[in-house]
Amino acid sequence: MFEGKTMKLLSQSLDVAALRQRVIANNLANLNTPGFKRSTVSFEESLRKAVGDQRLKLKTTHPAHIQPSSGIPRPEVKVDASTGRRVDGNNVDLEREMLDLVANQLFYNTLVQQVSGRLDNWRYVINQGRR
Amino acid sequence: MLSFSSFKISGSALTAEKLRLDVVAGNLANMNTTRTPEGGPYRRRTVVFAENLEQARGRLMPPVPQAARQNRMGSGVRVQAIYVDNRPPRLVYDPEHPDADANGNVAYPNIELAKEITDLITALRSYEANTTAVNTAKSLYLKALEIGR
Repeated sequence: MFEGKTMKLLSQSLDVAALRQRVIANNLANLNTPGFKRSTVSFEESLRKAVGDQRLKLKTTHPAHIQPSSGIPRPEVKVDASTGRRVDGNNVDLEREMLDLVANQLFYNTLVQQVSGRLDNWRYVINQGRR
Repeated sequence: MLSFSSFKISGSALTAEKLRLDVVAGNLANMNTTRTPEGGPYRRRTVVFAENLEQARGRLMPPVPQAARQNRMGSGVRVQAIYVDNRPPRLVYDPEHPDADANGNVAYPNIELAKEITDLITALRSYEANTTAVNTAKSLYLKALEIGR
């Protein structure tokens, strides 16, 4: 009951946000490394695809049959190999990374709020029985 | 899962940028140095950065081992080398100077002020950007502690 589909998705998304923070930190760390190419985390797009495509589910004829693991895709770290505007071959854009950093922080805070809200609901339900 | 590697990454960049500031400071301080232990005028130093690649792949990222295996994960930056700029020195005619050569020319270091100051500002701004990344990581950890409160 506590490990519902939404909860699993929320915790997976928290992992993705943490990974993205790491990748952005690495991009910023290599702001002045010649030839460095920035990386991005792709998750939302593949998640949208997986959620929209219900055909991925296997047909079961017995309750003990297992489904493929939850259908939540894994995040991917992709290297953006595009050529930057800089002479040294580095394609890190400071403004873009800072915006991503802030957006990711807000995303993370939203997720934490969602998880907390769910936990609050359960706590409410549990405590009502005591009265 | 949150791991503390984000701090390590940003920390490596803070160290590297700080070293760059030190090297620029050294260049500026020695703009007019005509005597060095190795002989001749001071020679300009530059730092070269290289991306630090994770050694133990997947170890730092238990939740997404696949992503770590398939993609090479960077873990910050390191100073690969400090190079000595071997361009010829700047010659200034000053026969009174004790280090003047037979023609009355003094060899001064090959340092351009504008270039050094630009480097200084770039290093400073990069340092600030990485400080922001550290603060963001910190706020993520603090927020995670609020789960279930």
